Amino acid sequence: MATHYNSEVWTEKYRPKVFEDMVGQEEILKRVKSLVDSFNIPHLLFAGPAGVGKSTLALIIVKELFGESWRENYLELNASDERGIDVVRQKVKDFARTKALGDVPFKVIFLDEADALTREAQQALRRTMENYTSTCRFVMSCNYSSKILDPIQSRAVVLRFQLLEKKDVKKRIDLIAESEGLTISPDAFDALYESSEGDCRRIINLLQATASISPNITPDLVNTIVSKAKPSDIKIVLDYALSGDFLNSRDKLLDIMLKESISGQDVIKAIQKEVWNLPIDNSLKVRLTEKTGEAEFRLVEGSDEFIQLEALIASFILAGEGGVGSKEA
Amino acid sequence: MIDMKNIPWCEKYRAKCFDDIRGQDLAIDKVKLFLKQFPKKKAVALHGPPGVGKTSLAYAIASETDAEVLELNASDFRNKAKIGEIIGPASRQKSLFAKSKIILIDEVDGVSAMKDRGGLAELLALLDKSAFPIIITANDIWASKFNVLRRKAEVVQLKEVDYKVVLKIMMDVCEKENVVVTGEVLKSIAIKAKGDIRAALNDLQMLSKMDNPELMKEVGDRNKEESIFSALQNVFQGAKIDDKMIRVYDEVNMPIDDIFLWVEENIPVAYKGKELSRAFEALSLADVFRGRIRRQRHWRFMVYEYFLLGAGIAGVKDYDRSGWTSYKKPSRILKIWLQNQRAAKKKTICQKYAKVCHISTKTAMKDFMLLKIILQNSEIRKQLDLSMDEIAYLDKPAS
Repeated sequence: MATHYNSEVWTEKYRPKVFEDMVGQEEILKRVKSLVDSFNIPHLLFAGPAGVGKSTLALIIVKELFGESWRENYLELNASDERGIDVVRQKVKDFARTKALGDVPFKVIFLDEADALTREAQQALRRTMENYTSTCRFVMSCNYSSKILDPIQSRAVVLRFQLLEKKDVKKRIDLIAESEGLTISPDAFDALYESSEGDCRRIINLLQATASISPNITPDLVNTIVSKAKPSDIKIVLDYALSGDFLNSRDKLLDIMLKESISGQDVIKAIQKEVWNLPIDNSLKVRLTEKTGEAEFRLVEGSDEFIQLEALIASFILAGEGGVGSKEA
Repeated sequence: MIDMKNIPWCEKYRAKCFDDIRGQDLAIDKVKLFLKQFPKKKAVALHGPPGVGKTSLAYAIASETDAEVLELNASDFRNKAKIGEIIGPASRQKSLFAKSKIILIDEVDGVSAMKDRGGLAELLALLDKSAFPIIITANDIWASKFNVLRRKAEVVQLKEVDYKVVLKIMMDVCEKENVVVTGEVLKSIAIKAKGDIRAALNDLQMLSKMDNPELMKEVGDRNKEESIFSALQNVFQGAKIDDKMIRVYDEVNMPIDDIFLWVEENIPVAYKGKELSRAFEALSLADVFRGRIRRQRHWRFMVYEYFLLGAGIAGVKDYDRSGWTSYKKPSRILKIWLQNQRAAKKKTICQKYAKVCHISTKTAMKDFMLLKIILQNSEIRKQLDLSMDEIAYLDKPAS
C-alpha cells in the first residue's frame, strides 16, 4: 500500500513525516521524542482542537518506533466510526493476539476521537487496556479530556495540544506553495487562515480546492471557494421562524442538518452568530441571544438535540409576533 | 420522471373493479343495489376504519359504470363558495362527451361543522340537486354533524378486513414485487395492521427496502397507535388538567422515546404561535429531564418527564377546542432514514477518503463541500478507487 506515500491529497502529501517537520507543540514534541528514543512509551492521551497534529504525531511515533515495519505494528481505529465497543474490542483482540515484530516489545493502537465513546464503552475500553497492556500501547486522541473517564486518564500520560499559531501555520503553507508552484498573497493567506479557525487540515484542504481553480491564490478566489463550501444558510431557517412559519422552518432545519451532516451544536453556533444580523430590535436580539444560550445549555443537558432546536425556533416565532418572553415561565 | 419504485404499493395495487376488492362482499352488494335504484337516493356514504377500501370501492364503482370521477377532499371544503364553484355546475350538466360522472367526496370527517361554515350545508343541498351519484367516504359516520347526511344518503358500512384476507393481499403483492418475506413476518404485519390494508402494504414496502432487520422494530404496532392517538387527543384537546391528565400516558404501550416523537410531531398540528412556543418549552424541559435520567440514572426525574409531556403540554392552551383532529405519525426517523439512503454514495466516498486521510467518516462528511472540489482531481479519484457510481455522484451538479 505504497499509495499512502505519494497521495495527491495534500493533507496526506504534506503531512509531517518526522518530528522536525511538525510546527508548534514544542513541549509535547520534546517529551514524546525522549520517550520514543527510549523505545518505551506509556499509554498516551492527546487532547486538543482539530487540525493541530494529534494524528500526525501518532503516525510519527509509530514510524520512529518501528521503521519500515510500522504498518504491521500499528492499528488505527476511529471511535466515532466504529459502532459499539464490541467491534473495538474484537479488533483490538485480533490485533494484539500476535507479538510485535522487531525490537519493540509492543504494538501501538491509535484510538482517534476517543471522546465519541460512551461511558459504558470507555469502561470496557479500560478493561481492554489492562488486559493487553503487556503487548499493546494505546494512543488516544480527543477534543476534550473532560469527556474521558478518570480511570483512563490516570492510566495514560495526558498531553494537551494548543491551537497552532498563525506563523506556524504559515510555515507549512509556504512549504506547500513552493512545492506546488503557487503564489499566495499575504491577504490571501489571511483569508485562508480566517476561515479555517486555526485548523491546519482544513486550511490545507481549502488551499487545495482553491488551487484547483488557479495557482494564483487571491483573497477573492479563496472567498469564492469558502462561500461555495459554506453549509447552507441557517438564516433561512430563522427567516421562516420569524415570519411565523414553524413547519417550513423545522423542515428546512432538519434538511440542512441531514444534508450537511452537521450537529446540533454547530447549528446553535450558527444561530447565535446570525441573531445579531437579523432585521429586528436590539432589545429583541438580546432576548433571543439569551434564548439561544439557554437552548445550547439544554442541548448539552438533554438527550434529543433536535427537540431543543425546535423549541428554540418556536421561541423565534414569538419574536416575529413581537411577543417573546411574554407568557412563559 | 415517474419511477415505479417510488409509487406506494397501496396505490400501485389499489383495487380497480368490484372483483379486486376483497373482504367487503356485503358492502359491494349494497352499493350495486344503490346504483340500480339511483336516483331514489342521490348519495351513498361508505364508512369504516382507515384502509379497508372505501376510496378503492368508490373508484371501482366509477370504473364499473364507466364514469368519470370528480374528486373532492376535506381540504376543498373550506367554504361554501369553493365547493359550489367546483361541483355545482358539473352536477347539473352532462359531460360533453356523454361520459357520466361520479362525484367523490373523500374523507368527509375532516369537514368541521364550525370552521367550514356552509360547507356541510352546501354538500347537503348538492345531494338534492345532483344529476350524478355522489359517493361520500367517512371514518365515523355517527358523528352528530352528519345527522342529516345519514338520512339523505344510503349508508354502507365497510368492516375491518380479516387478517387472513390482508395476508392474502400481501402475499400477492410480494409475488408481483418479487419480494421474499418469511410467512412469520407477513403474518405479524397482517395482524398488527388490524384490518387496515393500506397500513399493511406501507409496512411491507418499508420492510422490503430495509436491509437491516433491526429496523423491523420501526414497523409500528397498530394497537399502540390507537392508544397514543387517544392520549394525544386528551393532551391536545383536553380542557382541564385533572387526575386523568396526569396519567394520560398510562395506557400507552410504547417506550417514552416514541411518545416524545409523537408529541413532537403533533405540537404544530395542534398549536400555533404562543401556544406552540409554550408547548415546545415544556417538551424541551421534558427532554432535559430525560437527558439527566440517562446520564445520572436519577429515575425519580421520570415523574417530571411524564408530567411535562402530558399536563405540561396540555396546559399551554389559550382557548378550549373541540372537534376532530387527525394526528400524524412521527416522520423524523423516517426522514433521517430516507436521507441516509439518498446520501449512501456520499457516505461511501467519505469512507474511502477518511481511510486514506486518517480521519473519521463523520469529519469527512462535514467537510464534503470542500472535498467535492478536491475530488475533481482524477489522480485522487484513482487513488481512492472510486466507483463509477461514486464519480457520477460527484459530477452531478448540486441540486
